Amino acid sequence: MEPDDFTARLMSDMDPDLLEFIKTRVNSFIKWDLVRFFHENPHTADTVENIARYTGRNPVAVKPELEELADSGLMRRQLVGGIPVYSLTTDEATRDLIQRFVQACEDRHFRVKAVYHIIRGMY
Amino acid sequence: MERVKTGIAGLDEMLHGGFLPQTANLVEGAPGTGKTTLGMQFIYNGIVQFGEPGLIVTFEEFPQQYYRDAASFGWDFRRLEQEGKLRIIMTSPEITRLDLESVGGMIESTVRELGIRRVLVDSLSHFERLSTDPVELRGIVHGFINALKREGLTSILTRESAALFGEDSSEESDIAFMVDSYILLRYVEIESTVRKALLVLKLRGSDHAKDIRQFEITGSGIEVQSKFEGREGIMSGSPHRTMADSFVEAFIKHR
Repeated sequence: MEPDDFTARLMSDMDPDLLEFIKTRVNSFIKWDLVRFFHENPHTADTVENIARYTGRNPVAVKPELEELADSGLMRRQLVGGIPVYSLTTDEATRDLIQRFVQACEDRHFRVKAVYHIIRGMY
Repeated sequence: MERVKTGIAGLDEMLHGGFLPQTANLVEGAPGTGKTTLGMQFIYNGIVQFGEPGLIVTFEEFPQQYYRDAASFGWDFRRLEQEGKLRIIMTSPEITRLDLESVGGMIESTVRELGIRRVLVDSLSHFERLSTDPVELRGIVHGFINALKREGLTSILTRESAALFGEDSSEESDIAFMVDSYILLRYVEIESTVRKALLVLKLRGSDHAKDIRQFEITGSGIEVQSKFEGREGIMSGSPHRTMADSFVEAFIKHR
């Protein structure tokens, strides 16, 4: 077995739902921050600029990430007075999945695996 | 007359029973005087003592901070949210304004869905960034207050004052004219100790206590105590003894 295969298998040894979640929906560090922020502050609803400020990030970097989170069903995008406003999905099953992800992140081994998959996904 | 009780010991007595229903009530003070605590206590007591669900709209502090601060007083805001009795919304003044102007917006839907009766807006000071024109700003705040009343809410609106002690030297605002009641929280220095003072400056449509009371933030929230005896110039931040008290101190007690 190639060392790379072994590492990939070791790193993929996690809840399959969460593995899929990381590979396809929370596949960047900014998305990770945003998901955690909205999980901790679940009734936040605001513009890209303000959400970027809340998370200490650049709005230019945050905008596409928020849009992808909305496209993947983790966030809601509504127009308020013609301005796009983002908030956490109200779908219970998705919120439960987010909760499982945030709780799993309390474990260092899980975090290492999540970081591995995010970095791999970038290249 | 029907009243919306705050449930805060001493404050309801000063308000002659509580706020009037569907009114906007301004609480102003320097950082750390207890504006947010007073507002959270109003919301918490509304839920647990009077069965009135509450809403907190925050423009700066994260909801997470409210959960933590409330827990330090033994108020489980997370549980109340899960039970559908409380909602803490973080947003910005511009979105709140647009949301309230639209039909079926986020706040309107939440109020209807949860049966919200009380709201804490923390803080109104953030509206000042919406316009530098005082006339336009007055219109914006007036519209906002009216929208809260339209939803049948009794609100506490906090407002920051820059001065830690004494009178606030910042530009006078029209907000005090637009609200139904106006409560001032102040730091007071007495004999090298910082204490806190509360004064009800205005309560539209009702009489209220005119004296300046001491208050403390205890482990179970704000407790309004007795008035400052034998002192003058409390709201200046550095009061002095009254003439009569100074006389007693100098010539009778020390004889």
